Amino acid sequence: MILLYLITPALIMFFISFSHHIYLRRILPITNLMVLIPTLYLFSLGKPYAIIGEYLVATNLNSYILLISSIVAIGVTLALITLNKHVKIDNRSYIKFYRFFALFWIGLILSIMSNNMGIYWIGLEMATLSTVYMIKTNKSKQASKEAWNYMIVGAIAISLILFGIILIYASAKPILGEEAMNFALLKEHIHEIKNPFLFELGFVIVSVGMFIKMGFFPMNLWLANIERASFYPVGALFSGILESAILIGFFQFSMIAMQIDKEATFSFVFIYLFLTISLVSFLIFRSKDFMRLFSLSGVEHMVLIILFWVSGGYFPALLHFGAHAFLKPALFLSTGVLESQGRYKIAGALKGYHGFEGKTFWFIVGFFILAIVSLPPSPMFFSEIYGFSAMITLAKETDSLLWMILAITILLLILSIIFYKFIEIYQSMKYEGEEVEKIVYKSELLAFLLFAVATIGLIMPQTITYLKAIHG
Amino acid sequence: MIDFFIGLFMASFLIVLFSGRLYRLIFWYAFNSLALGVITILVGVEHIDNALVISGGLTLILKAGVIPFVLKNISQRFNLIREINPTVPIHYSIILIPAIIIFTLYLAEPMSSMIGVNSNYIAISISSFFLALILMIEHKSVAPKIIAFLMMENALFLLGTTATKGMPMFVELGIFFDVMMAIVIINLLFKEEHVK
Amino acid sequence: MILYIFTILLLLIIAPLLIGMIKSLKMFLLYKKPVSIFQPYATFNKLLIKEVIISHESSIITRIAPLLVLSPLLIVLLFLPPVVHGAYYIGFVDAFTIIGLISLSTFFLMLLGLDSGNAFGGMGSSREAFIASLVEPAMVLTIFSVGLMAKDLGVGNASINLATHFPIEHASSFLFAGISFFILLLAENGRLPIDNPETHLELTMVHEAMILDISGLYLAIIEMAVSIKFIVFASLFVTLFMPYGVNLIAPLAILVFVAKLILVSVVVALIEVNGAKLRLFKVPNLLGISIVFAFLSLITFYVLGA
Repeated sequence: MILLYLITPALIMFFISFSHHIYLRRILPITNLMVLIPTLYLFSLGKPYAIIGEYLVATNLNSYILLISSIVAIGVTLALITLNKHVKIDNRSYIKFYRFFALFWIGLILSIMSNNMGIYWIGLEMATLSTVYMIKTNKSKQASKEAWNYMIVGAIAISLILFGIILIYASAKPILGEEAMNFALLKEHIHEIKNPFLFELGFVIVSVGMFIKMGFFPMNLWLANIERASFYPVGALFSGILESAILIGFFQFSMIAMQIDKEATFSFVFIYLFLTISLVSFLIFRSKDFMRLFSLSGVEHMVLIILFWVSGGYFPALLHFGAHAFLKPALFLSTGVLESQGRYKIAGALKGYHGFEGKTFWFIVGFFILAIVSLPPSPMFFSEIYGFSAMITLAKETDSLLWMILAITILLLILSIIFYKFIEIYQSMKYEGEEVEKIVYKSELLAFLLFAVATIGLIMPQTITYLKAIHG
Repeated sequence: MIDFFIGLFMASFLIVLFSGRLYRLIFWYAFNSLALGVITILVGVEHIDNALVISGGLTLILKAGVIPFVLKNISQRFNLIREINPTVPIHYSIILIPAIIIFTLYLAEPMSSMIGVNSNYIAISISSFFLALILMIEHKSVAPKIIAFLMMENALFLLGTTATKGMPMFVELGIFFDVMMAIVIINLLFKEEHVK
Repeated sequence: MILYIFTILLLLIIAPLLIGMIKSLKMFLLYKKPVSIFQPYATFNKLLIKEVIISHESSIITRIAPLLVLSPLLIVLLFLPPVVHGAYYIGFVDAFTIIGLISLSTFFLMLLGLDSGNAFGGMGSSREAFIASLVEPAMVLTIFSVGLMAKDLGVGNASINLATHFPIEHASSFLFAGISFFILLLAENGRLPIDNPETHLELTMVHEAMILDISGLYLAIIEMAVSIKFIVFASLFVTLFMPYGVNLIAPLAILVFVAKLILVSVVVALIEVNGAKLRLFKVPNLLGISIVFAFLSLITFYVLGA
């Protein structure tokens, strides 16, 4: 029943989108606001709460992620109201964007709440396919090319995930039967399976598929290019919601894999992440526009989240996850205003805001940019400190403490390159270039305020207590 | 009997890899799905599993009937270029493809020996998965890439059918739903491009 | 022994019939008025009474080559696998001998082309050599793979083994070998995707270019060789890849065998109607596919046992 409440807003959006009335775009964000009610209601229930049998189960982990995703979705719909003021889009495409956003949202709710690999995959595939059309709403030639690109590469990634899931299912079917797709049950019985190798192989293939989808090594630039070519809310949806769904899948799979062979899982993931982040940091250093910058920085943060998670730092991973999920969509949405002078004009992007709205805007965007590079009051600062200490704790259990310290040092050096680049960009935005008047709309400001409040909400003691209680 | 159809399945993969015409690609995709559907039904009958028989029947109707028809319709309506030459010249792929097949067969060996039953089916479906990847790589235009995606899905379906005696029913139905949705999206994308 | 001799005679008699049948079926499918399926016999008769004209620029080879084209094929006819269970067959000959004999026949055909007085002969011979050299590796692989599956390299024994207990667990390797062999059948007999037997267009002809100068009795011999070559390949195909019905009683088994030969001809005709001739430089691609299939058959058999 609660599932119905969860997807009702999306369904309403889907059906409303078939009528071509212009005032609808004001109704749509309010519709989406309704998703908060069942989401918050989920928190009051005893966990784990079976939504539909064993297939969809609400746990502490996925309720948290669903809450974050719904806040992001609400923020994005708020910002969507004024999409036509910043980019050229006709009403038809706008309505269609909403239609596929609704499908995307349904797929992701299924995916996030699923306790079953099959349902997880189905939801993810649905979301991936509907994103293709959302990219295509931009009528430029570039966007059309990138939509196909997303379709093909996304299809490869998603097929790899299915491939891995089949292998995992095959490894566990002899003992669990049809229930072998159940995450919770599989986690309980993982030590009974006869072919752990098959499971590990499946896990590796699933991870590679997910890493491709998140833009990890060697596919670092494909997401950046797609987000560059499409309208800016697509980037926000990618980094805020779609990647949350992929991450929760990774969390579930890696929890099981770590029970089989913690060291092997950690080494595989660590090497992959290390390659990614070293490449990404230099790509960030060379990036010349906001979209690619934010997109690549999204990859960097995803790397950190996964790194903390596989090191056993569940709390820092989830904190970092929340902060990233709020900050990155906010930044992507702000590019709509920041890039109103042209795509490659970073200098002076934060100048020329007048009145209460303008002043608030530059203050909030400045806050976001400084928060994303983990300057102290940002949740990211705390999560990184906790995360690195979790890595040290992990290394203490083995004899590779020195190696870990070396790795963390290199990691910090790499992060400092990114830090330097962001500070440089901030300064360039604030102090260089000429001043041109820019307009900020109320609905956008509301969305930014929502994200800012949510980010601050993450470091409230209650949230921290809740997050610390989640043990994978 | 299943062996024979598995052979047909893989043979259609190979012919697709050497083919240079879009309609022929669509035809061989339909043929491939036909073999897949028959395999699924046979496996279902062998293990007395009604879910497999149903999904085999659905494969026959949707993948061997509806989807090829829709694809052909799309390619006619939107005047897709029907001459699609692989970027890898055929005399190179004659050497490349057997090499890849050998590689994947040996790669799949530990997996298939672990799953035990019908080890060769698993090896063949894994190597067809890689062949579909090659099909995707060796073409530049979009239409063959779509067919490669669909064939990759077929290979995974075969893996699911043979390695695990079929996935749970709702998962298979969900996969069908997603494939149909992919076709709808593809149709929409082509439509948008055509309008412009 | 009676059955053995009877089979060979039967094959000799129906060989032109198959060629005629393909031709008339093709004409029927193209909405033309089909010629009689006995037309090749009539042509043969006509050629026998025609005068033989030999170019004065050609050497002795033109006189002896047609016989040397025909004779290896006649010998191959003796080595074919039995069509009825328990019939006599020559068991000591393995598949490579048969391939060798067929190549010998092709060799003399090429010599005949080179020896002819006109410019087309050499061109036809070079094309034939090009195709034959590509056919060879695929042929060896295919035969080897089938031999492994039948646990005997000799065609006679292999076909007996296959007929008594067909290796159903190797069905997929078997299918790949079958596809490969069928492509070779088309290639070796100059059927449509490789060579159009009905055209005398200098751009495309291969087989016809070599025998453009030949007339009368010699042409009759060559035509006979062509039909025998087709029936040799067709009967190899049906006995190795469709080994059913051999265990029936003699008249029925022979009937089934002839029916299978007719089936092969019908399939060839259908392919010819539906396809166009490949450009000469695309022929290696088709034969490459055949090599890939033969190889695949071998490796699926070896690696997977499938």
